[in-house]
Amino acid sequence: MSARVESARGWAAQTYRLAVATRVILAAAGGYTVAALASGWLALVLPGARAEAVSAATIASFAIMAAAAVWVFAARTLSRAVLGLSLVAALLTVGLWLAGAFQPGAAA
Amino acid sequence: MSRPKGFRQSMAWLHTWSGLVVGWVLFAVFVTGTASYYRSEISRWMRPELTDSAFDPAATATHAGAFLQTTMPNAMAWSIRLPSTKDPEVEVYWWRNPGGPYHHALLDPATGEPAKVRDTQGGDFLYRFHFELNLPPIWGRWIVSACAMILLIALISGIVTHRRIFVDFFTFRRDRSAQRGWLDAHNVAGVLALPFHLMIVYTGLVTLSSMLMPWAEMTAYRGELLRYYAEAGITIPGRPPAGRPGEALPLGEIVTRAIAAQGQTPELVVVSNPGDAAATVNTYFEEPPGLAHLHPQIAYDASTGAEIGRVGEAGPATRTGAVMVGIHEAHFAAAPLRLLFFLCGFLGAATVASGLVLWTVARTPKGADPEGVGLRLVRLLNLGTIGGLPAGLAAYFLANRLLPVDLPGRADWEVRTFFIAWVAAALAAALSRRNRAWPLALAIPGIAFLAIPVVDAVTVGEARFLGFDAAMALLGGLLLVGARLASRRRQVQQRAETILHRTAQA
Amino acid sequence: MTVPALALSLLLAFSGFSALALSLERHHRAVFRSPVPRSRRGGLRAVGSAGLALSFAAAVACAGWSFGPVQWVGSLTGSALAVVGLIAYRPTWLRTAALAALPLAALTLPLALPG
Repeated sequence: MSARVESARGWAAQTYRLAVATRVILAAAGGYTVAALASGWLALVLPGARAEAVSAATIASFAIMAAAAVWVFAARTLSRAVLGLSLVAALLTVGLWLAGAFQPGAAA
Repeated sequence: MSRPKGFRQSMAWLHTWSGLVVGWVLFAVFVTGTASYYRSEISRWMRPELTDSAFDPAATATHAGAFLQTTMPNAMAWSIRLPSTKDPEVEVYWWRNPGGPYHHALLDPATGEPAKVRDTQGGDFLYRFHFELNLPPIWGRWIVSACAMILLIALISGIVTHRRIFVDFFTFRRDRSAQRGWLDAHNVAGVLALPFHLMIVYTGLVTLSSMLMPWAEMTAYRGELLRYYAEAGITIPGRPPAGRPGEALPLGEIVTRAIAAQGQTPELVVVSNPGDAAATVNTYFEEPPGLAHLHPQIAYDASTGAEIGRVGEAGPATRTGAVMVGIHEAHFAAAPLRLLFFLCGFLGAATVASGLVLWTVARTPKGADPEGVGLRLVRLLNLGTIGGLPAGLAAYFLANRLLPVDLPGRADWEVRTFFIAWVAAALAAALSRRNRAWPLALAIPGIAFLAIPVVDAVTVGEARFLGFDAAMALLGGLLLVGARLASRRRQVQQRAETILHRTAQA
Repeated sequence: MTVPALALSLLLAFSGFSALALSLERHHRAVFRSPVPRSRRGGLRAVGSAGLALSFAAAVACAGWSFGPVQWVGSLTGSALAVVGLIAYRPTWLRTAALAALPLAALTLPLALPG
């Protein structure tokens, strides 16, 4: 085995590790962000009493995070994973804004 | 470790690696959590001085109130757990700041004086270790929760990976290769108790949700969490202190009113802002029959004894959350069902352990190839956790019987013994020869568990602990059977290797 | 949630799972040393599913709609574990055990039902 093949293989292993590390961070931070945004949005838009909406949104949030994390590892490429999560996060942020989460003192 | 291509391959990869990185913590969480199904029984065994005695709830509450009044009159709150069929003592907590420190004592129901009982954390140590790992609470809870989330992901990816769940449902092939056997064991333990595994990890996350995922409360209530708890029917809204001193009724008087109002003795009485004119007494009753973890509550004014409020009715979503917490803790489960929960928790620990072992078995190089550092490290951690933790548990129970009763800081020494024994057993297995490591790692806790009934018989020797002692003997026996199986497998393997070697030479 | 009630759902689920296991080629071979006849496969599956359904009905009848399903899922795990253990260690006992579980279940029935 020539030195060049060796070093190419080492380089491939390096990029592979980097890609895995990025997905781990994306799954953890991105998954949590999406779950947090989704639970906040659901708490505002779910019908029924406010306390009930909060309880339901909180219970659902862990399933949302798990689904987001699985999606990050299932996506064919890293950029697709980033794009997918960013899109969902952006939509949820717009949803939160429309639901009035960013207006001061809108609670109660 | 090849690059995953399709969906199933990427899920197999995810299952393998997510399971590995949190496996050791999860094993400890499963073992201590499973033991916590018998937390009261463990606490009783570890406090042999306490016996059931009839008690008058009102007088007991008054005594406990008097004790707390002398101990910390200006506390932020006092909490009094009255004796029940599960726990015979009065357990009191008192604290000055919401962040602690929380002071704790066990009182004699008859006198209100600290009970004459050996200093121990009892089953509470295992219970708290289950979700705090004996770390500062916030750290421990976040670490365990992160591991739980990764377990949830590992379960989902494991289901996707396991192509033939129904065809292989009953399959456990003992006669094939070691790798086959471990894979089957991992699949059987994982799949048979899959409803339990999914339930326990999800409900565990829900139990800690106010710390993990406060964003729904934060958004809808703008951070007014107490208001959410009140509106949801979880707690009675508190009231601020008046800022001037007040004269409180004896606590027994309020307990008597609570019994009259609810028709049963409250199990917990919490006094907020004692000594203040607006001091409040919250009485908590046993959960009504059902799965939900929702206690009926009535709040009283401490000085007049007038009812201030009751906890509201929880709606379906809040009730669902409470049912999740209830199922996780299984307080509702009577003895037979509790045993099944215990069995399922045991299978959870077995799933994690077999998965960890499978990782090493699948990567053991064939023939004379050298082993990598990673493989050796994982094997050592497996030995140290799967054999070491049970050794620590047995040592914790043995220390309870063998440490001098009046040793200063006795409860801390019990906990120290737990960790010292864990580390020592792990080191013994790590330093022994490869083919002896697993038999030794399982034999050490096996013998230690078998010693528990003997030591208990010699030091305490009471018939009411026969059940506990029998369970310990059974655990010890199981571990020794495991040690024997491990040593036999090693011998078979060695013989096969020698024969192979000779044939190769010939 | 009494011992007989739990025993009843365990026994029914055990018989059901045994029938389901015997409908699978590998386990039928282990127990009877012969491939499973195509004609019998459907019957075994039907009996097996019926056993699990009866176990559910028994759990709900004895323990109600809140505890019943929890108890049933627990019995599924417990009984499936027994079936796996028998197939792995004493395959020839499976048929007898599965058949013996049914009269035992009938015996526990009067003790298990509330009231």
